[in-house]
Amino acid sequence: MDNRGNDASDKAYLKVKNVTKNFGTFTALKDISLEVFEGEFVCFLGPSGCGKTTLLRAIAGLDIQSAGSVSQGGKDISNLPASERDFGIVFQSYALFPNLSVADNVGYGLVNMRSNKADIRKRVDELLSLVGLNDQGDKYPAQLSGGQQQRVALARALAMSPGLLLLDEPLSALDAKVRVHLRHEMKELQRRLGVTTIMVTHDQEEALTMADRIVVMKDGVIEQVGTPEEIYRHPATPFVAEFVGTMNFLKASKGEGGQVLLGGHALSLSDREKEKLNGKDILACVRPEDIAVRNVDQATDNSFEATVKELEFLGSFCRASLNYGDGESQIAADFSINLVRDKGIEEGGTIRVALPENRIHIFSQG
Amino acid sequence: MTDQTLQTRATASAIKPKLSRDDWVMRAFILGIGLWLVVTLLLPLYSMLSKSAQNKDGAFVGLANYIEYFSTPALFHSINNSFFIAIVSTIITISLASVFAFILSRSMIPFKGVFKGIALLPLLAPSLLPGISFVYLFGRQGVLKDWIGDYSIYGPIGIVMGEVFYTFPHALMILIAAFSIADARLYEATVVLRTSRIRTFFTVTLPGIKYGLISAIFVVFTLVITDFGIPKVIGGQYNVLATDIYKQVIGQQNFEMGAVVSVVLLIPAILAFAVDRFVQRKQVAMLTARAVPYEPKPHALLDKIFFVYCCVIGLAIIGIIGMAGYASFVTFWPYNLELSLNNYDFDVMDGGGWSSFYNSLKMAAYTAIFGTVIIFTGAYMVEKAKGFKFMRGIIQFLCMIPMAVPGMVLGLAYIFFFNHPDNPLGIIYGTMPILVIVTIAHFYTVSHLTAMTALKQMDPEFETVSASLKVPFFRTFLKVTVPVCMPAILDISIYLFVNAMTTVSAVIFLYSTDTSLASIAALNMDDAGDVAPAAAMCMVIVATSAGVRVLHALLTRGMARKTQAWRKR
Repeated sequence: MDNRGNDASDKAYLKVKNVTKNFGTFTALKDISLEVFEGEFVCFLGPSGCGKTTLLRAIAGLDIQSAGSVSQGGKDISNLPASERDFGIVFQSYALFPNLSVADNVGYGLVNMRSNKADIRKRVDELLSLVGLNDQGDKYPAQLSGGQQQRVALARALAMSPGLLLLDEPLSALDAKVRVHLRHEMKELQRRLGVTTIMVTHDQEEALTMADRIVVMKDGVIEQVGTPEEIYRHPATPFVAEFVGTMNFLKASKGEGGQVLLGGHALSLSDREKEKLNGKDILACVRPEDIAVRNVDQATDNSFEATVKELEFLGSFCRASLNYGDGESQIAADFSINLVRDKGIEEGGTIRVALPENRIHIFSQG
Repeated sequence: MTDQTLQTRATASAIKPKLSRDDWVMRAFILGIGLWLVVTLLLPLYSMLSKSAQNKDGAFVGLANYIEYFSTPALFHSINNSFFIAIVSTIITISLASVFAFILSRSMIPFKGVFKGIALLPLLAPSLLPGISFVYLFGRQGVLKDWIGDYSIYGPIGIVMGEVFYTFPHALMILIAAFSIADARLYEATVVLRTSRIRTFFTVTLPGIKYGLISAIFVVFTLVITDFGIPKVIGGQYNVLATDIYKQVIGQQNFEMGAVVSVVLLIPAILAFAVDRFVQRKQVAMLTARAVPYEPKPHALLDKIFFVYCCVIGLAIIGIIGMAGYASFVTFWPYNLELSLNNYDFDVMDGGGWSSFYNSLKMAAYTAIFGTVIIFTGAYMVEKAKGFKFMRGIIQFLCMIPMAVPGMVLGLAYIFFFNHPDNPLGIIYGTMPILVIVTIAHFYTVSHLTAMTALKQMDPEFETVSASLKVPFFRTFLKVTVPVCMPAILDISIYLFVNAMTTVSAVIFLYSTDTSLASIAALNMDDAGDVAPAAAMCMVIVATSAGVRVLHALLTRGMARKTQAWRKR
C-alpha cells in the first residue's frame, strides 16, 4: 500500500476539479485541481490563510465550493451536503460531546444505523481497542488527556468505516512530545486500515513524516504536489523551498557552460537545474545541512574559502554564518558538533566549503 | 481540444449546493420563529403606530393626534416629569450601586454573599411593592413620617425612592460584572510604579468599568422611564408618561391618545437601548483571555467603612420589604396593630381574590415552559443554521426589539392588534394565552441573549460531526445541546417565571375578569384604597418568587450532579 500515490495507473478515488471558492470578494481557492488515490495519506500543507482548510471543508461539503467539481469513488458529490457524503472527520478541537461518555461518543453514529445494542457495544469496543483506549469507555471526555481525547475523536470518525478520513489539524492542540508519539501512531493506524486520508496541517515536520504525498498551498493555489522526499529535495518554487525546511537563497548570475556565478565562484550544476538558468534574476539555493566541509580541498568541485562570522549553538548541531566572495555575502551552514570539534571551526576562522552540485537549486525570474 | 475546454468551462460553472434534510428543517423552524416574532411583536407595534395616526372612527388623520398632544400642557408636561424622575433616579441608583458593586468585588468585607443576596431581593417583588411600603413608612400615617418633614411622599420624592429600590439590583448586576473583569496585572503594575490609590482609581479602575457603567446608566434610565407600578401607587397627582397611557386608555377610553403617548415613550426607550447595545459590543472586546483575575487585599479602615455602608443599604432594602410585610399582617393600620391574617383573605376583597394568584402561578408556569422552549429553540436555529443569512439577521434584530419596548406600550399594541374585529387571532383576546404570549414577547430579549451566550460557547463543529455521522441535527440538539446548556435553560425559565409573577405593565390592558393576575389584583386593591391587602398580595408574590428561586437553586444543584457530571475532571 506504500506510496500508492506514485503509481499513476491507480484510479483516483477523490477528484477535485477546477475548484474555486469565494467568500464575498475574497477568493480563498483559485481553480484547484487534485487527485487522491485509494488508501493514500495526503497532507495539505501551508501557512495559515493559504486555503488548506477551505479545501478540506469543500471536500467535506461543509463549505461547498463556488465553482468546480468534486467526485469521490466515481460519484459526483459536488453539490451534496455533508450528511450525504461519505467521510469521517477529526477537528482540531476534537468536538467531542462533553456530556456523553467516551463509548457513547464513539457509538454516536452507530445508534442511528443498527438497532442491536450488543452489536454497537461490540463495534465500540473494537474501535476503542484500535486506538488503545480499551478500558476508558465509561469516562467523560474531560477526564481524559488531550492525546486520549484526540484518539476518541479518531475512533468516532472511523466508526462508520468511512471511505475518506479528514483530519483538520488534529495534532496542533497537543504538547510537542505527545504530538510526535501520536503522529507515528496515527500513521500506523491509517496504514493498517488502508483508509484514504487527507490531513490539513501547517507543521512541515508532521507533513513530512506522515504523508504519502504532500500538497503545498499558498494564497489559494497549489504550489507543488509530491512525496515528502520530492518536496524537500526538489522544491518547485522558492515558497516551497522556504516553507519546508531551511534554505539559503543566494543572489547569483549566469556563468559559462551551464555554470552559475556565486560571489565570484563558478559553480557547476546538475543537468536538471541547468535548464532553469533562463532569467535575469537568478537565485541559487542550498540547504544549510548540505554544505560540505569534510574531505574538501582545492581540488573539490564547487568549493571555496569562507570565513566563519558567527557560530550559533543549537544543541545537537551548530548553525554557522559564513562570509564568502566579496566578504559581504552570507550563507548559513549546519555543522554537527562532531565536525566543529574535528575541524576546529571557530568564529573568525577560515574554512573551505563545498556546495555539492546535486544539492543546488536554481530559481530564475524575469 | 475544443471539447476539453468546453468541458472545463462546464465543470467550472457555479455550484448550487443541495440542501440536506437538516437544512430544510432548520429553515422551516427559522421561518416559524420569524413568523412568531412578526405576529407577537411587529404587527401589534405596527397597529399601534397606525392607531396613533387615526381618529376615533379609524380614519387616517396624520399627525393631528400628535398636534393635539403637544398643544395640551397637561399631557406633554408629563414628558418633563418622566425625564426628571428618570434622570434623578438614575443618578442616585448608579451612585449607590457602583459603590456597592465596588465593595462586593474589590474589598474583603465579610458576608459578601449575604449582602449580594439582599441587594437582589427587589427583583422578586412587583414594582408597586416599594410604593406601598413608602406609604406605610412616610405616608400621612407613616411610621417615619417625620423624616421627610413637610414634604409629601405622594409625588416625585416617593417615585424616585421607589425607582431607586426597584432598579438597584439591575444596576448592581451589570456593575459587579464590570468590576469583576479587572485584570490584576494592571494593578500590580501600578504598585510597581508606585502610583497612589486615587490615581490608580482614575487611571485603571474607572476606565475598566466605563462600559459597564454606561450600560447600567441606560438600563436604569429605561427601567425608570417605562415603569408604571411605582408612579401609579405613590405618584399622587404627579403624572408621568407611563401613567398617562393608563389614564388615557382605562380612564378616558381614549385609545388614540394612548397610542400617541406610547410612541412618545417609545422614543427615549429606543434611544437608550441603542446606546446600550452599542456600548455592550465594546465591552466584549475588552475581555482578553490572558487577563489575571484581581484578588482584593484587606484594608482595616476601609473595610470597616465599606461594611457599614453595605449594612445601611441592606437594612434599607430589608426594611422596605419588611414594612410591607409587617403592614400586611396588621389588622387595621394604624388603629389596631394586632397581627392577623385578615388582609390575606383576598376572596372578600375586590380585585380577583386568591384565584388571581392561582392565575398568576399558571401564567408564570406557562410562560416559563413555552417561553423557554420557543426562545431557546429559536436561538439555536438562528445560531447554528447554515446559510439563510438574511433571514437569520432579521430574526436576530427582531429578538432585540422587546428590550426597547415598554410593557405598557406592548400591552396597548396588543389591544389594537388582537382586538381588531378583522383579526382571526382575536379569539385569544381576554384569555390566558394572550397573557402568556405578551409576557413571552415582553421578556424575549434577555432570555434570547442568555441562550445565545450559552450556544456560542458550544463547539461549532458538533453539528458538523453529527452530519458526518449521518445523525440528524435534532438528535444532537436533544442529546447534547440541551443537556450541556441546561444551566442557561434553567436560568431563562426562572427569569421568565419571576418576571411573569411580578409584571404589571404589559398585562394590565389584557386581563379579563377570569384571568386577573396577582400583581394586577394588588394594583386594583391599592387603587380601591385597600392598601394593606395590596401589600399582602405583594408579599405573596415575593414569597412565591423567592420559593421558586430556592427551588431553582436546589434543582440546579441536583441537575448539576446528574447531568453535568462530565464537568468534573
